Amino acid sequence: MNPIAMTFIQGPVVEEEVRLTLVELCQACSAEEEHVLAWVFEGALEPVGESPQDWRFTGDSLRRARLALRLTRDLEINPPGVALALDLLDDIAMLRAKLQRIGVR
Amino acid sequence: MKFKDYYEILGVARGATQDDVKKAYRKLARKYHPDVSKDPDAEARFKELGEAYAVLKDPEKRAAYDQMGSQWKTGQDFQPPPDWDAGFEFSGRDFGAGAGADHSDFFEALFGRQARAAQRAQMHAKGPDHHAKVLIDLADAYRGAQRSISLRMPGLDAQGRGTLQERKLDVGIPKGIRAGQHLRLAGQGAPGLGEGAAGDLYLEISFKPDPQFRVDGRDVYLNLPLAPWEAALGASVAVPTPEGPVQLTIPPGSAAGRQLRLKGRGIPGSPPGDLYVALAIVLPPADSEGAQEAYRTMAKAFDFNPRTKMKGDSS
Repeated sequence: MNPIAMTFIQGPVVEEEVRLTLVELCQACSAEEEHVLAWVFEGALEPVGESPQDWRFTGDSLRRARLALRLTRDLEINPPGVALALDLLDDIAMLRAKLQRIGVR
Repeated sequence: MKFKDYYEILGVARGATQDDVKKAYRKLARKYHPDVSKDPDAEARFKELGEAYAVLKDPEKRAAYDQMGSQWKTGQDFQPPPDWDAGFEFSGRDFGAGAGADHSDFFEALFGRQARAAQRAQMHAKGPDHHAKVLIDLADAYRGAQRSISLRMPGLDAQGRGTLQERKLDVGIPKGIRAGQHLRLAGQGAPGLGEGAAGDLYLEISFKPDPQFRVDGRDVYLNLPLAPWEAALGASVAVPTPEGPVQLTIPPGSAAGRQLRLKGRGIPGSPPGDLYVALAIVLPPADSEGAQEAYRTMAKAFDFNPRTKMKGDSS
């Protein structure tokens, strides 16, 4: 029997190889541009670049923006609240990782 | 189909004001939001809350729901009476949250039709990007792998009802990928509308739970049981790693809890992660005369009190 040739779909690792524009980030997480602008203004997302047209978001922004969107939509949190929640959730994740490292599960 | 008591789910009385409904929802939503809560049921609870709130916050839907009567209890078998919504005019707006086939059968039977009518009004554009979570083996991140994954996508069947469609994808898993990272597969999202291109598919990577290894970012952790004499005298021990066993030298006088770092043996990358081996000392059971004799010999051989540093009388 002949081996079946299979094509495997390849894609970049977003966090390492991708920089997203504002439009791409909005498309990727189905967020409205005004939301993303507000989160940037509050420091919840930190793109590189001067003006919104030049902004480039790191791949990790995708995770943060999706989380921000869920918090906004589900809990009706405003942008300053979203920025605070994101920071606190990051802190909690870091502390949990530390606990795991010292063997508390 | 089971009846769902949306008032009970939100913990409010049937006569609750819109403000009370909102307050109750917000409080419970904060508690059970899957991004915040570690409760294993959080996701299911949160979905249920969202569904209840979608109905009760909307005066039109709430009125329609109320007219079914208050004699129903959660979990009772239920069929919507024919024409139960006759005479109600729905404006079909406000269906942003949870659009798709994510609601219960109960919700779908009552309100599904309007939800879809509302969804139809869309613009011509690139298809939406989709997101999915996939579980891979830790070993796949060490070596890279080609995996067939199956995804369930919400869609509509021929009758226009919400269904979950199974879809198979053959995906290359790049070496060095870590939990929480995303792969972007161009053109694998939803088809475009009009002339628009198809959206992309983002796959969020997680590792299958492993009985042996714990993962933190690029670093991998392992507990290694040792016999007391291996820890005391030193030994060379075969240690499993996700890429196969390695021979590890245990230094003499190793204490329980000591961590040995195998540099670069974590998840590959630049820089690669490390593999941490935590030493645990396991006592052999004293379950035979010979074993008990060995322990007695040990007791005689050592002038050893492990409690010397304890305060109070512990001799």
